[in-house]
Amino acid sequence: MSEPVAEALRPRKRRGSEFGLELRMLVLTLILLVVLSLSSKYFLTYNNIMNVLDQSVVVGILAIGQTAVVLTGGIDLSVGALVGWGGMVLALTSPSLGFVGSLLAGIVAGGVAGAINGLLVARVRIAPFIVTLGMLSVARSVTYLVSDAASITDLPPALIQISTGTVFGAPIDVLFLAALYAASWWYFTSTKGGCTIYAIGSNTEAARIAGLAIARYTVGVYVVSGVLAAIAAAFMAGRIRAVDPTTGTGLELDSIAAVVIGGASLFGGRGSIIGTLFGVVIMVCIRNGLNLLGIDPYWQGTAVGCIIVAAVAGERLLSWRRAGQ
Amino acid sequence: MRAGAAPRGPRFAAPENGEDMPSASAPAHVVTEAGASPARELLTATGIRKAFGGMVALSGVDVVLRGGEVHALVGANGAGKSTLSRILCGHIAADAGEISIRARPVRFASPRDALAAGVAMVTQETTLAPDLPVVQNMFLSRMGHPGRLSRRGLERDAAEIIADMGIDLSFSLSDRVRDLSIAERQLVEVLKALANRPDIVVFDEPTTALSPYETERLFGMIERLSGRGKAIVLVSHRMEEIFRISDRISVLREGRLVGSDIATKQLDAATLVTMMVGRELSDVFSRHMSHGAARAGAPVLRVANLRAAPIVKDVSFTIAQGEIVGLGGLVGAGRSEVAETIYGLRRPDAGTMELAGQPYRPRSAIDALRAGAGFVGEDRRRQGIVPDLSVMANLLLNQLGLHRGFRWSHDTSGGGAVAIARSLGLPLQRLADAKLLQFSGGMQQKVIIARALSTSPRLLLLDEPTRGVDIETRSTIYKVMRERANEGLGVLWISSDFEELLGICDRVIVMSDGRSVADLPCDDLDVEKLMMFAAPRSSSHALSALLAQLVARFGGTAFWAYLEAARLYCFDSMTAPGGPAILERGTVQSLDRLRFGEALRMAENRFAIDADGSLQIMTVPLRTRRDHYFGHFGLALPATAARPAPAEIIGLVQAAMANF
Repeated sequence: MSEPVAEALRPRKRRGSEFGLELRMLVLTLILLVVLSLSSKYFLTYNNIMNVLDQSVVVGILAIGQTAVVLTGGIDLSVGALVGWGGMVLALTSPSLGFVGSLLAGIVAGGVAGAINGLLVARVRIAPFIVTLGMLSVARSVTYLVSDAASITDLPPALIQISTGTVFGAPIDVLFLAALYAASWWYFTSTKGGCTIYAIGSNTEAARIAGLAIARYTVGVYVVSGVLAAIAAAFMAGRIRAVDPTTGTGLELDSIAAVVIGGASLFGGRGSIIGTLFGVVIMVCIRNGLNLLGIDPYWQGTAVGCIIVAAVAGERLLSWRRAGQ
Repeated sequence: MRAGAAPRGPRFAAPENGEDMPSASAPAHVVTEAGASPARELLTATGIRKAFGGMVALSGVDVVLRGGEVHALVGANGAGKSTLSRILCGHIAADAGEISIRARPVRFASPRDALAAGVAMVTQETTLAPDLPVVQNMFLSRMGHPGRLSRRGLERDAAEIIADMGIDLSFSLSDRVRDLSIAERQLVEVLKALANRPDIVVFDEPTTALSPYETERLFGMIERLSGRGKAIVLVSHRMEEIFRISDRISVLREGRLVGSDIATKQLDAATLVTMMVGRELSDVFSRHMSHGAARAGAPVLRVANLRAAPIVKDVSFTIAQGEIVGLGGLVGAGRSEVAETIYGLRRPDAGTMELAGQPYRPRSAIDALRAGAGFVGEDRRRQGIVPDLSVMANLLLNQLGLHRGFRWSHDTSGGGAVAIARSLGLPLQRLADAKLLQFSGGMQQKVIIARALSTSPRLLLLDEPTRGVDIETRSTIYKVMRERANEGLGVLWISSDFEELLGICDRVIVMSDGRSVADLPCDDLDVEKLMMFAAPRSSSHALSALLAQLVARFGGTAFWAYLEAARLYCFDSMTAPGGPAILERGTVQSLDRLRFGEALRMAENRFAIDADGSLQIMTVPLRTRRDHYFGHFGLALPATAARPAPAEIIGLVQAAMANF
């Protein structure tokens, strides 16, 4: 290999501008944290920080799967319903299968639903919006049917342990979330699959011509989203110590909001897992801050909605300015 | 023309005054001949400037359009012709510059403003709504007007316009556009432009999908329009068209005006080509004119009776190692679809393929890549560029497809690809850039071609590889492809630029209506004949019908061919059952080697007997009403057969030609 060729291939340090999105999110998050800690003396207390992290877990887990789906140019509206479905399977099977068995059963249930989503999108070529809207309705209805519309509170103690327990003073669920984000960051930045998912969302036709396995990865992201929904359901069940047929309602919108605030494009190909993490933190902090300030909880929706639109508008303005240069 | 003459624009609006005229590169060619024409100036555009991102498409261009004149806007691919015409028609806004119509400044915020000012456009790609009937498509712009539309009123207006143009439609006004052929859609596109009775009509490459006869009809319409005092702009890169139809010519090269408002009479083809492409490229082209050292290696690709519904119907050809084979034909003939089928992007319904001697039936692009095929699509933006990946990741995208591991980084398999990028003249430090979209069209294309070469293919399928690229890139692509071919690569080269095909290829396969109709060596061909071979059978149905009529009536073989001093180009032929099969369609024959060659030379409008006295043969030249030569019709009968009266044959041919 000649010298200039080797030079061109040498791994480079990423320049600041390439971290642009993550950097802006970090600044935005810091500003928010400063404002909230100045407005409420409770915000930076240990208990409240733990509370914020705790509230981030469920949405945080779902947002990883949602990021993968959105990066391919799709959308998963069924994750909230799949939290209910996966949680209910877990709760119903736990008396016979025990903690690990029922957790696996829930994961399989979520994965199968995700696979149905993915196959309909990739093979039958129905728009992801339609497919997952249908799955939302079906999964919720089946959840009601299998549970006779009753909530289940008889849950294995291990389930409560993983959501509320600590290791060396650190909450287990938060550690798990951090590990999950680290693993998915590595996946999206340095594996073939991560690069393929970006390529599919950015230009499906070019990816097809380059010989990338489009169908396999498209099905894959929906399966991952379904599996993560079931895992999120386990943490949620442990925290509220019950599984209800309505569990998870509306979570699909929270996860999409986190991904969008995190700078991902709903057309696919653009976004990052770090951005999504910041999106989750920003959303949870705002909810928490409004609670601390004693503002009517009905305002929370307005605040989150405004932030979603402002985040996207801000990105649009920045890209306009860059194009103008 | 309208009454009440608007104040006349400055007659000596000399483009030399344009602030950005290239003074060093072109002035030798800038001939400005104002004042000689009595025609009235309808539209003047000055200092038009347009950039897309970092790419300057037009830098200070001036145009004057006069009523009653056909103004040809000429230039190579990517010279800015289409951009300029789209600005004149309000489809895109210029960054700077002024347009005035009848000496009154105008500013078009949308195509609708331009329509209201009397400027209409016939676009390259059709902009018709496929599910609406013809008449509604024609008057689509009226849907934006207030008030009710009466269907009967629209149909009456449509009929009036059609009668005005003196044409017969092969379809009904209530047919849905979806059901029309490409040539018919093009005609609807023209009628749509005329629906608002414009004073200025811009035709952007209107003939790319038209056979020579349909082109004749279109030119008849253009002449009629300019005869009525309309100003016509014809955007084209086809020499023969430009000289046949235009009164004046403006030449663009890389966004600059290198020849402004020149009377067509004052130019010849050689000068125009030099102006269009610049000295550099004419040299480049002539260097690559020397075709490959015709050492026919082992076949790389063999395609037999390939069918892929609905477009590809029956295609057969072979590409040998070291050969560059062109796939020619009009837009819509199915060339891209053939390449996509070979690359596994479309499923074939029938036929067989062999790659390097092995049966080859790719089910996806990855199968094709693994078998040793490479592909560069015609639409770079849609089929090539992945905008959100870095330039390096774009370059290595095919490696990503072939890669079997889990982890992935640029050094996994990048060495070869980067070396290829370097051989294509890509600056290596720019491979580290974040955005491929910020590259010029030529640099983007180099990245896409390097990507395809990076898997070391045996067969490379190139679909319009030089579309929208600069001259330097063009010449690099020619050079690299010829080098690769000399190393044994087989290349299938699709291009609408027939001169390019004849310049770079060893052979050309001609496609028409989804079938391969001819396989011709490039040495014996020129652009005009290639166009005739490429004419769709559907457009020449009158001629095919005539062949059938002659054979049914007299037996023997009827043929349609272009006759030259030494050669015969047979476009079509038909033989009666049991008749002498003497000429195969889609072939070029040397008259000296044909046993009836000598007879053919004497057979115009009368029967002649061939050398061994076994055949009697007669030909009738085909000329259109506008006196354009379309080859000869011929009839060959056994010498023993009863000889028909020549006048009868001439009469049949003339009756068939009355439609042209």
